[in-house]
Amino acid sequence: MRTPLIDRRDFLKAAGTGFLAALAPQAWAATLEADAVFATAYMKRDGSYGAAVLSEAGKMLHAVDLPDRGHDVTFDPVSGRSAVFARQPGTFFVVFDHKGRSEPLTIASQPARHFFGHGAFSTDGALLYATENDFDNAAGMVGVYDAKEGFKRIGEFPTYGIGPHELLLLGDGRTIAIANGGIETHPDFGRAELNIATMKPSYVLVDRITGEMLEKHELPAALHQLSIRHMDLDAKGTVWFGCQHRGPATEQPLLVGRAERGKDLALLDMPKDVLAGFRNYIGSVAANPDAGTVAVSSPQGNVFAVIEAASGKVLKTSSLTEVCGLAPDHSGFLATTGAGAIVQPDGNTMTEPDYVWDNHMLRIASSE
Amino acid sequence: MLKHLSRFRKSVARFCDENLRQNKLAAALVVPFALAISQPAGAAVQASDVVKSAVDGFIRPAYASLQQHAAATAKAVEALCAAPSQQALDAARTEFAGAVTAWSAIEIVRFGPITENNRLERMLYWPDRKGLGLKQVQAALAEKDVSATDAAGIAGKSIAMQGLGALEFVLHGTDAEMLAGKDGAYRCSFGSAIAGNIETIATDVSTAWAKPDGFAALWASPGPDNPLYRDGSEAVTELMGVFINGLELVRDQRLKNFLGANADAAKPKQAIYWRSGLTGASLAANLDGMNRLFQASNLGDALPKDDRWIADSIEIQLVNGVAAAKEASGSVAEVLADPKRRAALEHFQLITSSLSNLFGTRLSAAFGLTAGFSSLDGD
Repeated sequence: MRTPLIDRRDFLKAAGTGFLAALAPQAWAATLEADAVFATAYMKRDGSYGAAVLSEAGKMLHAVDLPDRGHDVTFDPVSGRSAVFARQPGTFFVVFDHKGRSEPLTIASQPARHFFGHGAFSTDGALLYATENDFDNAAGMVGVYDAKEGFKRIGEFPTYGIGPHELLLLGDGRTIAIANGGIETHPDFGRAELNIATMKPSYVLVDRITGEMLEKHELPAALHQLSIRHMDLDAKGTVWFGCQHRGPATEQPLLVGRAERGKDLALLDMPKDVLAGFRNYIGSVAANPDAGTVAVSSPQGNVFAVIEAASGKVLKTSSLTEVCGLAPDHSGFLATTGAGAIVQPDGNTMTEPDYVWDNHMLRIASSE
Repeated sequence: MLKHLSRFRKSVARFCDENLRQNKLAAALVVPFALAISQPAGAAVQASDVVKSAVDGFIRPAYASLQQHAAATAKAVEALCAAPSQQALDAARTEFAGAVTAWSAIEIVRFGPITENNRLERMLYWPDRKGLGLKQVQAALAEKDVSATDAAGIAGKSIAMQGLGALEFVLHGTDAEMLAGKDGAYRCSFGSAIAGNIETIATDVSTAWAKPDGFAALWASPGPDNPLYRDGSEAVTELMGVFINGLELVRDQRLKNFLGANADAAKPKQAIYWRSGLTGASLAANLDGMNRLFQASNLGDALPKDDRWIADSIEIQLVNGVAAAKEASGSVAEVLADPKRRAALEHFQLITSSLSNLFGTRLSAAFGLTAGFSSLDGD
């Protein structure tokens, strides 16, 4: 682990992040009866950004402002705090307590790094890991932050690939799985993808204590433009991943796969019409371990599909405009959309009129 | 605000569904549907007509023009190699400028045949952030690599040394003056090979678009069985994406990276085509291509009367944008050092932002398409 740190927190504080919505006590009372709450980043229709915690019924329980657009949220059950990361190439994450027990904290990326929008806490809540871009060297990094020391950045290790996106802590509590999307970007050129012709995505397992690479898997060379981006863990500990194809639209490769330790990546065969409906783009992956299912969404195809984890069979597809956020809810999935809908497993749809939802949603069990 | 507006994507309402064509009202492109229904059926515009007009009125001719300019460039470089002289070098440079302008007009189309076989990157490897192409071109020149002296050989090499950027270095980079004399023989044959490769790519793309049963037909016939465009809305969304994504490309990638917040922060050597002094010409051609595409597709005619102002504003801004970029033509270092011409580039930037709003918010909303929030590229 290396890296001298420059603390830019004071600067960001001046930029302003604070409580947006305090929680009405009666809302909490009702929520305590519920199984879970759900965290997601959002955009308000006035163009401002934030992150929110919603009840199962789609009610907004808590919200924090963000200085710019957020992406994914990760939760630490030990402290009860969540971290929401800036969307790439953003340079902040905000730690907040959705029960309002502490002030939100905004942490800046260090110079020459930016975030990719995803991260995960260690099981004991002591450390936070975030995918980052060492953009001048086009190298993926994992930044390590000390949750006990105000999220001071205490080190980093490589992702052993370019353009990392989501990372997951596996069940052993020590191995981190990283989806290296393979796409090179540099803030000088906005979100332009600089290496589409030569991109080489990979799935990598890293020991979070030593930073050493344990396994690295690539897709067959013919699929080098299939960017591995999002993941979740099923009940058996298998990692399910979703891809986005950067090659010609007329090619329609398989987009969902499974990764098991020590084995090659396995792409999942899907009915042609289901696959075609994804428009070469999976936006999020969420498992429902209790139900034995995994859901994948395609905001470009306006559809999400639920897959039986054991058999790999597609159980159902649901048409939903700009659906992306997915989280397990009872025996199904709660889904959110970029058009502002919150759709319960039974299809019941709610909205918060001023808000539209970002790509990801996280389930937080209310016992946590 | 502009940031998310430019991240354009899917539609809420749908443009006409081809399988509903018998039903004239349902086949109306003009959305919201209520509006279309209140109009006489004759006023309705088919999504497939918009697409066909875009293809026949702009895309096919623009790729044909690129092919012609690429062929003329290859011929001029060949002539230079056969009989080197300052005059022949000037002629090759003139043809190269024509090819860059032709490419800049059509490069806004970033879907279809240009995305196959890495043609987009092989035609123009840019930004070359790490100077990869430059290093490879210089290495070929230093080693006089004979495998880099025919077009087929070039096509098998790194994409970074195949296209307009590589040819620009050969014709305008360090020591390019040697092309006017005998010492430039190797450099010239290398340039000739690159020009030949560019001509091949341009020909392949133009041919693919010209085919009556090729990609153009797929795009113009949306329907439930179409693998790419399930309905008219998706087909028109592709067209709208040309403007929305193109404006973002021009502003965020092409202009902002060298313009800087002020004259001191400018980085002229980061500008596209800085060696040949074609930066402004290329930016102008980018917007000129959008203007021609907008005119050709008759998108404005699909607007309800109350929204026609959007099309009028778009046309005015596109013309203004072309003029502003042309004002900033010539050596980009000189442009940036000249307050008046630098101001023209700043004006150009403002115009592209205004256009992003007009396309991404106004026109999209008028057609019932949303500038999507969640469904964004690369996340």
